[in-house]
Amino acid sequence: MKPSLLLAGAAVALSGLAAPSFADDVTIKLWSRADRSGPLRAGNIVAAAEQLNNAFEAAGADKRVVVELIETNNKGFDADALALLKAHSVGDTPDIAVVAHEWIGSFVEAGLAANLEGHIADNATMYADMIPELWNSVMYKGERFGVPQDSEVRMFFLNNDILRATGKSEEFIAQLPAQVEAGEFTMFDFCDLAAEAVNAGAAKIGWVHRPNVGPDFQMAMASFGIDIYNEDEAKLQITKQGLTDYYGWLKYCVDNGSLPADMTTYSWDSTHAAFRGGDALGKFHGIWNVGKQLEAFGLEGKDDYFHKLTWIHAPAGKAGGQPKNLSHPIAYIVGETENKDLAALLVAMASQHVPNTAHAVTTNHTPINYGQTAMPEFQEKGWALIAGTPMLKYAEFMPNHAKIGQYNAITYTGVQAVETGEMSPEEAAEMVIEELEIELGDDVIILD
Amino acid sequence: MRTTPRTRAVSDTALFLGPAIVLLAIFFVAPILVNIVVAFTDMSQTLDFKDFPTTKQFNKLGKLDDEALLGIELRRSFYKALMLTLVFVVLTLGIFNLTFALILGLTTTALPDRMGAFFRAVWLLPRMSPSVVYALLWLWVVDSTERGLFNQILMAVGFEPMNLRLDHPMAVIVVANGLIGASLGMIIFTSAIRSIPEHLFHAARADGAGPFSIIRHVILPALRWPISYITIYQALALLVSFEYIFLIMGPARSTMTMAMLSYTKTLAPQIGGGQYAYGAAIAMILIVIGILVALAMWRLTNMKALLQRPRIEVR
Repeated sequence: MKPSLLLAGAAVALSGLAAPSFADDVTIKLWSRADRSGPLRAGNIVAAAEQLNNAFEAAGADKRVVVELIETNNKGFDADALALLKAHSVGDTPDIAVVAHEWIGSFVEAGLAANLEGHIADNATMYADMIPELWNSVMYKGERFGVPQDSEVRMFFLNNDILRATGKSEEFIAQLPAQVEAGEFTMFDFCDLAAEAVNAGAAKIGWVHRPNVGPDFQMAMASFGIDIYNEDEAKLQITKQGLTDYYGWLKYCVDNGSLPADMTTYSWDSTHAAFRGGDALGKFHGIWNVGKQLEAFGLEGKDDYFHKLTWIHAPAGKAGGQPKNLSHPIAYIVGETENKDLAALLVAMASQHVPNTAHAVTTNHTPINYGQTAMPEFQEKGWALIAGTPMLKYAEFMPNHAKIGQYNAITYTGVQAVETGEMSPEEAAEMVIEELEIELGDDVIILD
Repeated sequence: MRTTPRTRAVSDTALFLGPAIVLLAIFFVAPILVNIVVAFTDMSQTLDFKDFPTTKQFNKLGKLDDEALLGIELRRSFYKALMLTLVFVVLTLGIFNLTFALILGLTTTALPDRMGAFFRAVWLLPRMSPSVVYALLWLWVVDSTERGLFNQILMAVGFEPMNLRLDHPMAVIVVANGLIGASLGMIIFTSAIRSIPEHLFHAARADGAGPFSIIRHVILPALRWPISYITIYQALALLVSFEYIFLIMGPARSTMTMAMLSYTKTLAPQIGGGQYAYGAAIAMILIVIGILVALAMWRLTNMKALLQRPRIEVR
């Protein structure tokens, strides 16, 4: 066969493979980070479009919805949010995006996220079973600009076998969560316990936290009485005393040998390996780690899991205080585009019980609708999530403020300075407050 | 049509210099101009800006204060970045890019040709390997656990393991950058040493000069221009270099040089990026420092003499 014939044949074959094109195709651009921890965040939207197309076909309409997936390779949701803002500023606004909720403030200010109050009111039955607290996470200046896609709870994980090897009784282990809940077991007690495990030779490392800027630190700050958001003024806030106490606690942990001084230079891999490899007594992170923990420790099922691991809230900073934890939902936002009504409808369809449960149980995220926990699939595969749901009563959310990313980055520099021994907690608090004032200006209130 | 010598001169100039000028304009001058414009805006996150011109970004770096030196009180983190940059550039340049490069140039030219070429090739390896691979090797070398190569060596000779990234961060980035940077000086110095007429060495030896006298009186005088060139070129390169610092140390405070600070405020993932105007302001100060350093060194080393028009004309 001649080469030209071959080429022509290939062209015919390729055109046959492409999706059939209809006169009335509506393309919905879906922006989503390529994330192994949640492929169905985008997948559920694609499935919703298919379902809608079935309805169109049944009705004899020639309109078809085509979802064009813009899958990005950004490292983390913060980098992805910045890339999304850049795409928007050059006119490439997607119709739907999968985002970390705390960026919604930035998206609204940039004119990217559409106000969904009207859509939610018009489709009230589709959202009627949504867990009401979750709506707070997509609220900006009192209105909703997104739909929660999943939820989670972040906490301290403890390795019971290390506690046993330290000489702690089963009774001690069993009572720990209740003691934390009652405010009797504090953050300092936690460090002492971790140091005891290290000194007893039961653990190589006391405990680990995330090695970079991110939401987890907020729960520890909250335990020390830092309420980072002033809702009335829609501004971030901080107290010097709270910050000094929080950094003082980190210094205490480094000094007593329970927290590695170079924790902030760890890689994620070594952080995960420290806990999952059985070297560290504790780690603070999210419930979605359960799957990897089951795999790493070779555990099967609920009883096995809770024999090996204990969950506690971030304990109170001082005895008698309140424990805290954090939920960091991922949300769908709808772009301010001509297809926004259709896009919002796809989001509503993807947020129904069956598709959301498929995401939640495969990725260990807590549900967005109350009814999901009653589903057999959830009962069977989602035991950890059902166990985690009551913890949400102490949950804090990150504020939807445009400068929360900068705020977190600056408070994190204090963590670096204190842990590495560069500064005392007082110096670090002073440095961080100065940086916050300079970089955030009017967006942050210094309370003392 | 006959071309006059004048039009020919113009077309020659356009032909020979044109591509270089276009390249310079697009890749060197335009970015600097864009950077200067952005530095005087309030651009962040989205690429649009509301305020121009504004000195808001520069106010974040320092504030006016009559009592301070030069009337400006620098903000702490910025002052720290300036000092770390100075230490990083001076140490890397002084220890590796000049001294060590010179030692490599001298020793590899003293060896028999093939062996010299072999060692030079070895020293070029880090430059040839991709940055990420090179940085990963370093991360393994300085790993704080017993797995790290450096700690394995320490333990083999009876010392305690060390955590270099925590306790000696500047040493880590100086050595990591220096071992790559030395190869450029090595090549330039080698070729300069090779170009010294052979008879000078013979004459020196006949006059009874030992190896050190030959280096002092024959080789070093011939290396004056290459040394000046390497000093200026590498000082400027180190001022803005951040990739190995970022790859090995991450956004650690202990190695937050000016270039790193600019990068973390703008494009670095997960450490408060997106403040484009702020990063541009820092970069603009780096550009100014770069120009000042270049001019000062130009003057100090009398580079002008090197770049003088040759005494004979070739046409």
